[in-house]
Amino acid sequence: MDKDCALTSAGVNPVETVLRDELARADRALSGVAPVLGHILASTGHSLVSDAIVARVRGMLNDIARQLVSQLPATDPQDPRADPAENLAEDFANDAPMLDYVHAVALEAILTEQLDQRASIDPVLSPLWQELIASQDAMTGEIAMQALAAQSRFMQAQRRMQHAVCEMPPEVLERALRLWARTTPVEREPEVTKAMRALKADYDEAQSRVGLIARLIATMRGGVIAALELEHAGFALFVSALAHLSGQSRERAVLACHARQAARLALSLRAAGLETETIERQFHTLEPADRVPRGLGELASETARAMLRQSDALSGDAILATGQR
Amino acid sequence: MQRQTSLLAARGLTDERDRLLTADDPLADLHQRCGGTLPGVLAVPELLALVQQGRRLGLKIAREFTAYDGADLVSGFVRVHPLDEEQGGGCELLIENWQARSVPEPNSRDLAERLDAIDRACAEVTARLDPQQRIQLFQTSAADAGQLQDAVSEAPGSVWTDHITLDGMAHRQPLHWRLLDGAHCHVPGSNRRWRVRLLPIGPANGAPRGFELLLVADHPLAQVAENEGEEGKEQTHAELIGGALTPVLRQPIARIIANAETIRARLAGPLRAEYSDYAGNIASAGQHLSGLLDDLADLEVVEAADFTTEREPVDLGDAARRAAGILGVRARAKNIELVLPIRDDTPMAIGEFRRVLQVLLNLIGNAIAYSPENSVVTIVAEAGGTNDTVCVTVRDEGPGIEPDEANRIFNKFERLGRENDGGSGLGLYISSRLAQAMDGTLDIANPGEEGAAFRLTLPVSRPG
Repeated sequence: MDKDCALTSAGVNPVETVLRDELARADRALSGVAPVLGHILASTGHSLVSDAIVARVRGMLNDIARQLVSQLPATDPQDPRADPAENLAEDFANDAPMLDYVHAVALEAILTEQLDQRASIDPVLSPLWQELIASQDAMTGEIAMQALAAQSRFMQAQRRMQHAVCEMPPEVLERALRLWARTTPVEREPEVTKAMRALKADYDEAQSRVGLIARLIATMRGGVIAALELEHAGFALFVSALAHLSGQSRERAVLACHARQAARLALSLRAAGLETETIERQFHTLEPADRVPRGLGELASETARAMLRQSDALSGDAILATGQR
Repeated sequence: MQRQTSLLAARGLTDERDRLLTADDPLADLHQRCGGTLPGVLAVPELLALVQQGRRLGLKIAREFTAYDGADLVSGFVRVHPLDEEQGGGCELLIENWQARSVPEPNSRDLAERLDAIDRACAEVTARLDPQQRIQLFQTSAADAGQLQDAVSEAPGSVWTDHITLDGMAHRQPLHWRLLDGAHCHVPGSNRRWRVRLLPIGPANGAPRGFELLLVADHPLAQVAENEGEEGKEQTHAELIGGALTPVLRQPIARIIANAETIRARLAGPLRAEYSDYAGNIASAGQHLSGLLDDLADLEVVEAADFTTEREPVDLGDAARRAAGILGVRARAKNIELVLPIRDDTPMAIGEFRRVLQVLLNLIGNAIAYSPENSVVTIVAEAGGTNDTVCVTVRDEGPGIEPDEANRIFNKFERLGRENDGGSGLGLYISSRLAQAMDGTLDIANPGEEGAAFRLTLPVSRPG
């Protein structure tokens, strides 16, 4: 009796199925090598994909998956299937919009820390934030306090490489929930549906860190331009104000502050309506790899905005690029 | 530059089809300025997109929005809270940091370019003309321009003005293009009004190489009704006067009346008697117009499909006394005596006090208007013909109502041959609709007899 001949009724060997899946996974891994390697080799010093960023991205994806799975009643620890949170985190890692978002979060945290070390810009409480807390207007003061608490929680979570589900933008959260639903075994579907409903009911973008900062920025009205002075505003407010005034998503505004995105930074600041002198000061603080392009002041603010919008449209990460955050 | 500032500025509520159901003033105002009706589909584009997104995701979202309300650039921060099915399946909107800024005047060249772009985008008939304005290419997407298209294709190379009628231009065509640009015209087979845009092609200074002809209709052709279409259309129509026209017209009319009264009373100095009389005529015409406007607004209200009245106990005697009190001055001016029901005689009816009062004001007002001087108008409140009704009757000493007129008189715009007495022909129709809405009736108690008697009958209120 030859065991290898024990085929299933459908005529497919189970080993074949397993190996086919494994091979597909291996192919995906290989296909990612070249672009990543190319990027790392091309960038001397500052890379958009440093070890620190990779570690944070992985940590956050695991954390998000764990938070979702922990909403369900615990499964039998003897369950032979792999840890569901690990599987879910792997699915997240294959989803480009999720990766884009988590990458931007990791980059924000790292840049915030760098600015603290290099230019002693407080990661949490900036002078502008203090002014807003002491605002004449009670509601502005209250939002500023709430936002400050959220920012402090954010920096703490980032040290642990964690990211709370309720801090995600709605588009990304919805994507994560959809991925979760897709990978759920049929018998657990009612539980997942129930857990999702509870998560959705608790969620409120206006109470998330980014939402609170956006509301704070909105209370500043015409004074928002003051938040574009990085040393005065701190990185979190600076980035939100930059997104607000240049008409980009907040994630894009964070990316613009990376050392290798000087052109995007210059255009964003110009689109926000800053003059060359102020732009140079921000460059000085952020120390990007390139200098302020000569003649930037002659570029109309609308043109800069249009160039950024075109870049967003071309890069195609529709989920974040079209957001108005 | 900033005109209005406030933190939590407005709340609003939408339903599962993104119709704005209720909204605080700033939001309701913006919605209407953006072309929406209340209730009606949210007309502020960015807010509509956010509401749809919130509903789709089932998540509370918080975003900035901006909108142009025709005069100001409005911006704010909106929190969209999607609601469960049981709560209507729509969204709650909370708007913070409402601010309205005046929009910087664009320079005239930019503005002209933008207007051209808008017209190009909206044109439903486009054509390319040669320098002599003969049609070279013709295209239309409008269903009601088929006749025009046929005419053009039957006469190749004809001048475009051969096929349409230009308003107020009998001159032999074609005129210089600058005179034709912006003119209004009629397109054969279309009921819409069209505007002509004639844009020269070629270098700015020098003779044009040809023209771009755009015909822009004043409103889009109604879509063939889907299930909601009819309802929406009716609503738009129904709110035209009450919602849109009345608020706009009331103020200028009030000013006309006030100024005319000032002139009539010679408050600003001596004036010849004829001029004072003319001013009196202007004032009374203004009052007529103002009354007509009120009637039309009421008409829309009572004709709306969802019109209902409150159901509360109403003391008809009290209502009659108040109505008589309000009209006392007018009655005394004609030396008419208003005889009121005895105070103890107070049958209670079921209805809405405000509406009962409105009907009585109309009936007593009519009685005063059509009674001779020095006569008596009697108002009696009593139990109705059947056990479960009560009625109030207003009887005058004027000409009676003939039996054949007794039904017609409650018709819309029925004037019974009286053309110049300042009435709109709507008052009795509105009163009769109000009576019906309160499960009552309005009729003539004594057709054919001398002295008209109008009777409002309402269901009786049973104590306990």
